[in-house]
Amino acid sequence: MAAPAQLGLQNAASPIMEELIAFHDHALMIIFLISSLVLYIISLMLTTKLTHTSTMNAQEIEMIWTILPAMILIMIALPSLRILYMTDEFNKPYLTLKAIGHQWYWSYEYSDYEDLAFDSYIMPTYFLEPGEFRLLEVDNRTTLPMEADIRVLISSQDVLHSWAVPSLGVKTDAIPGRLNQAMVASMRPGLYYGQCSEICGSNHSFMPIVLEFIYFQDFEVWASYLYIV
Amino acid sequence: MAAMLEPDEPAKRRPFKFLGILDVENIPCARDSTLHGLLGSVVAGFGHFLLTSRIRISCDVGVGGFILVTLGCWFHCRYNYAKQKIQQRITRQGMKNKLYEGTHLDPERKRNNRNSSN
Repeated sequence: MAAPAQLGLQNAASPIMEELIAFHDHALMIIFLISSLVLYIISLMLTTKLTHTSTMNAQEIEMIWTILPAMILIMIALPSLRILYMTDEFNKPYLTLKAIGHQWYWSYEYSDYEDLAFDSYIMPTYFLEPGEFRLLEVDNRTTLPMEADIRVLISSQDVLHSWAVPSLGVKTDAIPGRLNQAMVASMRPGLYYGQCSEICGSNHSFMPIVLEFIYFQDFEVWASYLYIV
Repeated sequence: MAAMLEPDEPAKRRPFKFLGILDVENIPCARDSTLHGLLGSVVAGFGHFLLTSRIRISCDVGVGGFILVTLGCWFHCRYNYAKQKIQQRITRQGMKNKLYEGTHLDPERKRNNRNSSN
């Protein structure tokens, strides 16, 4: 999750998020260089005594400031499209999880297991244990196996919501009457936090998502335990 | 995740950002590229001035040199960084598979079984 007052991206927990961070660094470096150039040109404009009021044509400069931005845009677009198509790759998933948005909680269904479904409400502040995070903890975490491709089918029961987990690089709209698909895979065990990302009413800020990635064998134990319960 | 600071631990300072946007401390290759760019800018600008004694044009050459050297170092460093990450991933996977060698979880054995059945 984010540190207090964090502005940058969270640490990557999935390969897609690693790629997104690398692309972000690439785009940021280009932005930094363009900004430096523009700052320098502004300082030149403000400090020159030279004026030229009868320019009729300037073929060379026009060529430069057309071709150069086009090349810069291509340098940005190619990695961007590569990642875009990468996020749309769907390998054979190990597990399918349905995440359904409600006002104002998420419900999860593990269709591969019979009768495995639960609701995930925000943990009220007065119920938090020391060390837990305000407005981010839930009563039932979504437990998933790590290092496995997981297909998440996202929809909504009522209004628009959005299922987002920044560390995994996933944000998908939950639209009533529509099923959206996202692939999620974590490289390591841990807790990954997210929040609803589409305005959905008064408690839009109070329907968090917590994914708990654990080892395969522990996940099988957890799933069988829920069956018994 | 936000770590709780111990009482005697100094507070973490905010990372330094060039022009307020480029976090040179945490972005891989950013610091090296920027430092090389600054060096290239000084060399190009000062060298041009020594040759021509024209201040304004030398400043332009310096800025141009900064942009070109930074960009060149950036792409070179990121390319090597990406190759290194891929190699690390392959090594990590290889180490993990080594643990399973000879067992029923060995991916090599599964692949061989699949090929022989085909």
